[in-house]
Amino acid sequence: MRQIFIVFQYTLRDAAKKKAFIISTVVILALILVLSLIPRTMSLFSEDESAGSVEESANEETEQNGSGEEICYYIDENELIPSGQQALAAAFPENDVRPGETAKLEQYRKEIEENGEISVVSVTEQDGRPHILVICKDFMSGIDSQLAAETLGNLYTQTQLMEKGLTREEIAAATEPLPLEEEAAGQLDMTGYMLGIIFTMLMFFAVYYYGYGVAMSVATEKTSRVMETLIVSAKPSRILIGKCLAMGVLGLLQFGGVILFAVICCSLFIPEGFQLFGATLSLNAVTPYSALFLLIYFVLGYSLYAMLNAVCGASVSKIEDVNSAMMPVSLVAVLGFYLGYFTSISSSGNGTLQKIAMYLPISSPFMVPSRLLNGGMETGEMLISIGILLISIVLLVIISMRIYSASVLHYGKRQKIWEMYNKKI
Amino acid sequence: MSLQADNLCKAFGNKIAVDHISFDMNEPGVFGLIGTNGAGKTTTIRMILGIMPADSGSASWNGEKISRETLAFGYMPEERGIYMKNKVLDQLIYFGQLRGMSKADAKKSALSYMERLEVSEYRDMQAEKLSKGNQQKIQLIATLIHNPQLIFLDEPFSGLDPVNAEILSRLIRQLTDEGRYIVMSSHQMSTVEEYCENLLILHHGKTVLKGNMRQIKAGYGHTNLIVSSGQDVSAAAEACGLQLLEARANEMEYKIKGDEMANRFLKKLLDDGNYPTKYEIKEPSLNEIFIEKVGSDL
Repeated sequence: MRQIFIVFQYTLRDAAKKKAFIISTVVILALILVLSLIPRTMSLFSEDESAGSVEESANEETEQNGSGEEICYYIDENELIPSGQQALAAAFPENDVRPGETAKLEQYRKEIEENGEISVVSVTEQDGRPHILVICKDFMSGIDSQLAAETLGNLYTQTQLMEKGLTREEIAAATEPLPLEEEAAGQLDMTGYMLGIIFTMLMFFAVYYYGYGVAMSVATEKTSRVMETLIVSAKPSRILIGKCLAMGVLGLLQFGGVILFAVICCSLFIPEGFQLFGATLSLNAVTPYSALFLLIYFVLGYSLYAMLNAVCGASVSKIEDVNSAMMPVSLVAVLGFYLGYFTSISSSGNGTLQKIAMYLPISSPFMVPSRLLNGGMETGEMLISIGILLISIVLLVIISMRIYSASVLHYGKRQKIWEMYNKKI
Repeated sequence: MSLQADNLCKAFGNKIAVDHISFDMNEPGVFGLIGTNGAGKTTTIRMILGIMPADSGSASWNGEKISRETLAFGYMPEERGIYMKNKVLDQLIYFGQLRGMSKADAKKSALSYMERLEVSEYRDMQAEKLSKGNQQKIQLIATLIHNPQLIFLDEPFSGLDPVNAEILSRLIRQLTDEGRYIVMSSHQMSTVEEYCENLLILHHGKTVLKGNMRQIKAGYGHTNLIVSSGQDVSAAAEACGLQLLEARANEMEYKIKGDEMANRFLKKLLDDGNYPTKYEIKEPSLNEIFIEKVGSDL
């Protein structure tokens, strides 16, 4: 136990002094500071905008009343919808609605191919009714076909009803849309969803970044032959546990520091009641209960992948082989991440895939925390998931320690996993 | 106290690395483990230390199996294993603590050895900034920091310049005077010849020669003659049937078949009025013995 603590202490101190760690911490903190300053900056701009709104609206009006930059050719040679051109001009004030000719339709098409600000609305007769054709460059440019069809359709209906002898008032009363009122009883709270996504991303980052740290640390000791000095003093298993613990604690400290800094920045810089895309920013989803489980999943998820990465680091004889040795573990981590991520944001609730992702050790650390923050997890389910994760980690620790012990003094050709496992130690 | 290795064997796949190696060391001093690269020296040491399991055979210290837990031995591996990016004193304290020392004791011992090996000025420097020889000394301190009774040095002199080699020599003598048991592996015969009273020559994992150095040499008898003279001695040597081994700047070394041949050669020189300034009849060097034993495969 003492040796584990000594390895832990030394590795932690050494890793915390590394430039990569210091730089990554500073960059993350700076990013948080910048992000937390955005809402205040946005509100400053919105104040400026309201001050200059009178001037801007005047300018806009001038632009709209002018000739207009977008052109719409309206073709209705048979007068199927009388006053259709005027109706369109009223519905699309930013467009210059001009009369067009059926004979020039191909020419218009060529122009539209080149210029997205030109469109055509053509009305022809089909089956005794007007048929509306709207031609635009693509669905993102030109005139809004739905609004154009609605405008012309309403006009056609009114004309037909007038022909049937109805007065304008009767027509107006018959075609007036029914009143609709929408009411939101509460505020839109997307924070659990957003925090869930952020936690899943951070979890993957931790697994990858700190796991890489473990693999590199082990590989460096082996390839620089420090392991030969260490191994005569301490059992390989103690070195392995000490190292993994140190990197895990380093990750927790960095994460803890980052979260604390983020909370401070939020309370200092983000205005109260600030909304992002209609959602109020808050940490309501994080309760002591959920924080406890987030911590558990972080520690267990990290431990699972750290053990695998340590074996990867121990299996190489050259430091440049670390990345290729880590490839299988990275693939498993990516698979686990995507499985966990997509099932956690999926709205299909408790499908089979969700159940698999919840209990599968490679994906549960990515999936469960996100679902937990969205209120979609029951304690019983989480306890089963944690139990499976714990059993997997214990098994993995036993296997990893055996492989690690067998491989740390092996140099030369890379061994296969089962060769290392079966090696006498 | 005694160190015993009994029939140690190790194979890697189909390759037999160590084949029934046995030796013992019953008194303080330096025991030489000699062999070419890949002869099995490092594997033998690792098996004795218990950091690599032997396929068969055993090793013991005072009759008890050696392991990290039972004996605080010192081991300096052939490949230098120190943290290049870390400060020298910090890592020495770490190695000492792993050996069961308190932080204060480890620091005190590290500083003491740094002074003895004349590297105190580098205590707060990163190891990578030190010369290869000084890195080697730091590695040696990591081996000795906990003052072990049994010490294994794998190629301790490789990479050392003459000044540093002399400092290390002095330390080895001090350690043996203090009653330490040192097993030294080397392929530098002059080094082994200087320190080792007993030795074992390994070749392809097998023992080709072992025993007391003086007895081994005595067994070969007088086989070499070194002559230095102001005049040319080659005609007389040829007339007496001496075989030239090496012509050096100021002396010649000949192979002789016993003392009688050497005496006949001396008499001829004197008769010819050629008075040598140096005339030394000696046993073969360890290098010659080594080449004779394993030379056909080199």
